[in-house]
Amino acid sequence: MLEFDAIVDNKIGMHLRAAGEFVKVATQFESEVTVIKDGKKANGKSILGLASLAIERGAIITVQITGDDEQDARDAIEELIDAKFYED
Amino acid sequence: MKTEDLKSNGDEDVLAKTNRDQNNSESRKREIIRYGISAAPGIVIGTAFVVDSQVLRVPRTRVSQDRAEAEIVRFQEALDITRGELLQIKSDLADQLGDDHAKIFDAHMLILDDVMVKESTESLIRAESYNAAWALDIVISKIVTSLGNIGDEYLKDRSADILDVKQRVLRKLLGIESEHRQNPTEPSIIVAHELSPSETAQLDRRYVLGYATDLGGRTSHTAIMARSQGVPAVVGLEDTRPLIETGDTVVLDGNCGTIVINPLDGTRETYEKEIEHWRQFEEQLLTLTGYPAETLDHRKIELMANIDLPEEVASALDYGAEGVGLFRTEYFFIAQDQLPTEEEQYRVYRTLVEKMKGKPVTIRVLDIGGDKIAGYLHNSPELNPFMGWRGIRFLLTRKDIFKTQLRAIYRASAHGPVRMMFPLIVGVDEVVQAKKICEEIKHELTLARYKIDPDVEIGIMIETPSAVVLANALAKEVDFFSIGTNDLIQYTMAVDRGNTKISHLYQHLHPSIIRFLKMTADSARKNGVPAAICGEMCVDPMSAVVLVGLGLEEFSCSPNLIPEVKKTIRSVTFDECKTLVKKILKLSTTDKIEKRVWTFLKERCPDLSMFAEGKQHGK
Repeated sequence: MLEFDAIVDNKIGMHLRAAGEFVKVATQFESEVTVIKDGKKANGKSILGLASLAIERGAIITVQITGDDEQDARDAIEELIDAKFYED
Repeated sequence: MKTEDLKSNGDEDVLAKTNRDQNNSESRKREIIRYGISAAPGIVIGTAFVVDSQVLRVPRTRVSQDRAEAEIVRFQEALDITRGELLQIKSDLADQLGDDHAKIFDAHMLILDDVMVKESTESLIRAESYNAAWALDIVISKIVTSLGNIGDEYLKDRSADILDVKQRVLRKLLGIESEHRQNPTEPSIIVAHELSPSETAQLDRRYVLGYATDLGGRTSHTAIMARSQGVPAVVGLEDTRPLIETGDTVVLDGNCGTIVINPLDGTRETYEKEIEHWRQFEEQLLTLTGYPAETLDHRKIELMANIDLPEEVASALDYGAEGVGLFRTEYFFIAQDQLPTEEEQYRVYRTLVEKMKGKPVTIRVLDIGGDKIAGYLHNSPELNPFMGWRGIRFLLTRKDIFKTQLRAIYRASAHGPVRMMFPLIVGVDEVVQAKKICEEIKHELTLARYKIDPDVEIGIMIETPSAVVLANALAKEVDFFSIGTNDLIQYTMAVDRGNTKISHLYQHLHPSIIRFLKMTADSARKNGVPAAICGEMCVDPMSAVVLVGLGLEEFSCSPNLIPEVKKTIRSVTFDECKTLVKKILKLSTTDKIEKRVWTFLKERCPDLSMFAEGKQHGK
């Protein structure tokens, strides 16, 4: 299992559109993706799950990835967060 | 136990209702008049067709352990069927109204395909042997509750979509095929407590004569849909739906925002005459399209259109609009499941500008809040949204949203004449701040080598008493004024037009309103700034002659009402209107003013006065 922390630093936090982008990337991989914020866990492949974590701008999230392609998944997800969910 | 309770209650309801229907079938046919918000113009008499969002009864039963897997398969099949159904609705809607409208259903699709919903439901079926409908109901309820707790308005609004999806899947699971029964088979007036976008989209347009809903405002989805289909709509009828049953005869008056249920013969005749009158009047008015809007002594008035969608441009031009006086940008902010991007907005503004072929387009920046955020979504949680966080106040705190919109507007300005205006201004500092942001955006875009028109005119809405009082100072900061009479009257008279107990205080020709308009027009003239009128007021012939007399030179209203305004203008002289204004400024009550204007109008244009009278009876 891989685990890393990230700061969500796009304009308005992980709202529905950003959550949608996250799910799009996460579902490309076999690995299980879990997102944790303030101790609450959500399936990283569920847009409603991510939305209900209420991740605001500047929030720190923990991402856990387990599976054969975990390294690739990690790279892709980190890239997405760095690119601020391609908002602009 | 619970199932039993529900059942017996349900049966009792049906029985009680049958009895009531039999006993009261006579009294139920009483004529009832209800008042709402006029959302799309026109009058129609027809048969009501009631569309109810059904309350589905979810059985609290378990399946046997060995049936659990089969139940999961049944659940997955229901998801598949629903997915097909949503795709069908989406593509139908895209055909009818374009891709942007169909985007409403993107959120539905994401929710339907959500892995958490699927897995949680399946695991409930597997672990607890709940039937699929019950399991799904529990999962969705939990999600809606947790989204509701977040305190993010935007996410709360999405709860409606989530529930819409749940209903669809539940219907499949429970074998209730309500969709077909929910469609009229003959021309009908659609009556509902509230119509979701998907319900509206599924109605067979050939049979829709008009819409009447208990909830919603002028920019609710139903209102927009009605206007783009060219049928009348009255929304915000509060608790009218329970008074109507499918098959009842109703009169829907989208001009006055009224509905008459079971009209008496006399009422029916009056409306039939009014419809005929309208038809003839409209025919006659359409012959005016080629003529300019000028008074008998050749004072030219610019007639512009108020629109919400680029699709309305064609009819605006048909009716003889000389430009767009107000393009409201709220629609695609509330119609989508997410904030529109710069590109999306740019596409819409550019299409609009190109379709107007060189005629000016006035874009009002986002005026969300108050009634605007209501509509088919949820009501704003503010206690007093009309006096709350809306208009320019909202944009100056949410600069991200403001800047994105400004970028899109400036980029569209490369394709034709664009003006922009700020809503709900109360002071000079707001204008200064907003203009500073415009300068930043212009600079940014120029650096990025975008083609823009650096001289896009910047104006403000005069719609608060404060802006009227400060009009002289505000005029020094802007290129034009647009007087939003609907809000100005509400704020000045301290009256909510939707409140039937006091709506009679909403008066176009109240002495304080006329004085306010004069102050605004005078300050504008003194500073060489044009002042436009943008609101229903200019459509009323009685008010129109006063506005002409006040020296206002640009009127903007719904496209289909342009010919009527033109007719008024072409029947009078500027000189006599000025004299009329001088006289009424000396009068101290609405009554006296109305009588004076009425006498004037009757002399000048008996045709129009008849129309004005009819309208007044309608109220």
